[in-house]
Amino acid sequence: MKDIVHTTGLSRTVKGRKLVADVELRIRQGEVYGLLGQNGAGKTTIMKMLAGHIAPTAGEISLFGQRLTPSSKSALSRVGSIIEYPVFFEHMGAIDNLRLHAEYLGFYDEQAIAQALELVRLKDAGARPVKEFSLGMKQRLGIARAVITKPELIILDEPTNGLDPVGIKDMRDLVRMLNQDYGITFLVSSHILSEIEQVADRIGVVSEGRLTTEMSLEDIAKQRTDYIEIATPQAERAAYLLEHELGIASLKLLGGGRLRVYDLSRSQSEISRMLVLHDVEIEGIQKHVGTLEDYFYHQITGGDRIG
Amino acid sequence: MANLMKLEWRKLKRLNIVGEYAVYVAVMLFLPMLFARSVNADFGQDYATITGLIVSMHLSYVLFGASLINQVVIDEFRNRTISLSYGYPIPRRRLFLAKALLISLLVFAGTLLSFVLVGVSTLLLDESFGFIGEELTTGAVAGYVAKAVLHSAAVAVISHIPLFVFGVWKRATIPAVLIAIFLAQFQNLSPLLGLSLDPVLTTAALCLLGLLSAFAAISAIERFGDA
Repeated sequence: MKDIVHTTGLSRTVKGRKLVADVELRIRQGEVYGLLGQNGAGKTTIMKMLAGHIAPTAGEISLFGQRLTPSSKSALSRVGSIIEYPVFFEHMGAIDNLRLHAEYLGFYDEQAIAQALELVRLKDAGARPVKEFSLGMKQRLGIARAVITKPELIILDEPTNGLDPVGIKDMRDLVRMLNQDYGITFLVSSHILSEIEQVADRIGVVSEGRLTTEMSLEDIAKQRTDYIEIATPQAERAAYLLEHELGIASLKLLGGGRLRVYDLSRSQSEISRMLVLHDVEIEGIQKHVGTLEDYFYHQITGGDRIG
Repeated sequence: MANLMKLEWRKLKRLNIVGEYAVYVAVMLFLPMLFARSVNADFGQDYATITGLIVSMHLSYVLFGASLINQVVIDEFRNRTISLSYGYPIPRRRLFLAKALLISLLVFAGTLLSFVLVGVSTLLLDESFGFIGEELTTGAVAGYVAKAVLHSAAVAVISHIPLFVFGVWKRATIPAVLIAIFLAQFQNLSPLLGLSLDPVLTTAALCLLGLLSAFAAISAIERFGDA
């Protein structure tokens, strides 16, 4: 698959502060790319630059093989976006907002407007002024606006922010459907990691303005940090027994009477049985299933990843 | 460009603009008579004097321009709808050129229409109340029309003075309006301050400032215009 987004050395510095630094980002056609990072990490700034809202102070952006510059923005006709939160001309009706957007892009298709509203279940609200819409409706209308001209890339910044569980599911389903049925490529950011986990094919972690890691969900699944943690006053003896009695090599003494077993070839009950048989006092034993959250946490805090 | 201006126009709260404009016109329709009958009869001594009065009154449309700057530029930054425009495959300079031209066009057309309406109403009121001390001549009408066109254009250009600093850069409505009030009034009030200003030179200087401000707003938009 070819890259439809490619940035090299993408940077944005404001008043001497580097908001984004040297980001090398590649997004492949047809994928859902998730951008993860803490608030203020630089995700929105990266997305704003890709959507043409602000210009980089250094580096280059290439969309669909065309360089994006302040004077050459033609590639943006193939991009839909919602950055931060969907903004509209609130005094205007939903249809009028969509019509205006379409005309700015030189796209005149009343049927497409009706279809987009139907897609996001706002067909009956089309004539109402946007100021009467709830946040969830605005998010859906934002999606309708983003898809109306049938873009090849949609950039969604925290699309589930402020939505209720039903709205979150709606948004997720919509992204999936547009990706799978229409082949639209997505760049989605979120701090709700489980949300990203459910839609993204690949994830990039942004920390302090830098893209620190890029991985596919498959790769992340392989590196999940599942472990069994044992709390015992005889942690060193327990470690010795685990190694010699059960052949477990991958474990770590954490101090404070805690021990982590990363080699999960033996079950929790096998481990407890063996330790009890050897008179090791167990204060607690618990299996911890690593999530994307753990992985993400390790990435942004610089903690050691344990595999 | 015409299409971009049309799209800019469609975004606006058009009823508000028309309503505001109607208030300006409604007030101005009777001002020449009021001045000639109640303030000083000299205002009605001849058509040249009353035309001068009407021209001075029409500088107030700079305020209409400030109101448009507020809607067309400042509100877009404040409501962040400007980011929508930036997401289109249109360079920012073209977008802001369209905004500046729309403001110019609306102020020019609005001022010119007001000149026509105030001219007609003044003539009709003069028919009834007789406050102008000479007969209407073709020359007086031609002079009025020429001044109406020229001054409408001047007001349209002067209206851009707050555009760069208070529209694009500081995005501040109140200073933009205060500057407009000052611009609309300071020529009329300068004699009270003991200043003797040449009206032609002053208007030319203000037009130059307006042009510079519009030019700065468009050319520096990449630097100052982030959403």
